[in-house]
Amino acid sequence: MHEPLKAAVIHNGIEGLDGLYPDSAFMVYNRISVAYPVQLDISQYDVLIVPNGSDHVFMECIKDTVEAFLAAGGVLCCFDGWFTPWVPGNRWVMDNSRRTIDVRYKVVSDPYGFMKGIDIDGLNFSNGISGWWACGYIQPAAEAIVVLEDTWHRPLLIVDEHSTNGTMILSASAPLSDSTYATTDDDASMQAVAGIYRNIVEFMHAKKYAYEKS
Amino acid sequence: MLKNTHMKNPEIALVFNGVWSHYSFAMSPKYSSFYQLVYVHDLPATDLSAFKSVVIPFQSNHAVLGSCRKQLYDFLAGGGKLFVEGDSSATWLDAVWEDRPVNNYWWVTHPDQPPVTATDFTHPVYQGLMPRHACWHTHGAYTRVPDHARILQRNSAGEIITWETDAYGGTLLATTLDPIVEHGVQQITHLDHYVDRLTAWLCGAQPEGAFAIDEADYGRSWN
Repeated sequence: MHEPLKAAVIHNGIEGLDGLYPDSAFMVYNRISVAYPVQLDISQYDVLIVPNGSDHVFMECIKDTVEAFLAAGGVLCCFDGWFTPWVPGNRWVMDNSRRTIDVRYKVVSDPYGFMKGIDIDGLNFSNGISGWWACGYIQPAAEAIVVLEDTWHRPLLIVDEHSTNGTMILSASAPLSDSTYATTDDDASMQAVAGIYRNIVEFMHAKKYAYEKS
Repeated sequence: MLKNTHMKNPEIALVFNGVWSHYSFAMSPKYSSFYQLVYVHDLPATDLSAFKSVVIPFQSNHAVLGSCRKQLYDFLAGGGKLFVEGDSSATWLDAVWEDRPVNNYWWVTHPDQPPVTATDFTHPVYQGLMPRHACWHTHGAYTRVPDHARILQRNSAGEIITWETDAYGGTLLATTLDPIVEHGVQQITHLDHYVDRLTAWLCGAQPEGAFAIDEADYGRSWN
């Protein structure tokens, strides 16, 4: 087993974030607190995680740092709605023209196994309501891989390995973590959300060591 | 350093933690003339006397707010209204908030058992609301509130959900409901009722119309 990846988690002080990213054999985490003036060095990390509920004013302030991190081959995971333009090549748009009750998640393409072993109904339903909470949709870069889309074929989970030298894994504000978000206590939904995240972590881990070996 | 220049002299300051639901709410044309986003890291340098009211939404940075404690109580002492939703911190609020599991599906599984079982519908925010409009779900409960507080809502266990006090000069209203964040998220369709009553209470004027989203606001620089 290779060493675990080192991940930085952006933390803007919101309740409930601690505990969502516990260390594992694949990844260990450090919290990066939002603070000004910005004095940030993320070059020692393999992965930058921007969790649900993050500060996108701060993210725009560190846009150059993120671009340098990606240029060096880092992995960016943004599981939030990035309303400021800090994510290279990809845009998130909020939308309320469709009813949540009509949303069904569908797999479009899954070359890296993010959905392996996942019961997608765990995303669609939780205690009779939605089991996940994607909001709006992504306008992806041309060469990005769309993993999940909604009822109206709008991208909700994508992988972009072309816009930068690094990898971007982006969700349309759909929370992903190694624990569940506090929006559900339905076991099927908990397993699905945490399962996708663990599959993503294993992908990132395998990709790093495959790259180093090559 | 950082400011939102898109607003036009709103009377309510919405303390903004950079969270997208805070942004989508305040940018909606329905509410943008009422609410001014004040980035939480700019709060110490912000003159709150320009506002009638201050709103601290769920998913705020209470560590930073703790460092602004004097500023917030000075605002109250000047007669302002302060509304706090969701969680809070005893670093600046004389109360103790505790987390609880969120039940956001009661209306499907047990529609006769809402999370809030007692509401004071004589309060201006709650006047005229249907019981369902007065509670969608709660984020925790208060296990201690100031001695002088009036209790406005309780859950089935008798725990405090919403309370209010005038003891600091102006009015402090705190609730573990999350109307601003949930309205920004736009996944609960009936929140206009609560938020419009709240807005009227905060500034004296009531918004009208539907919550709209302008796609052009997304992907736009804050600076």
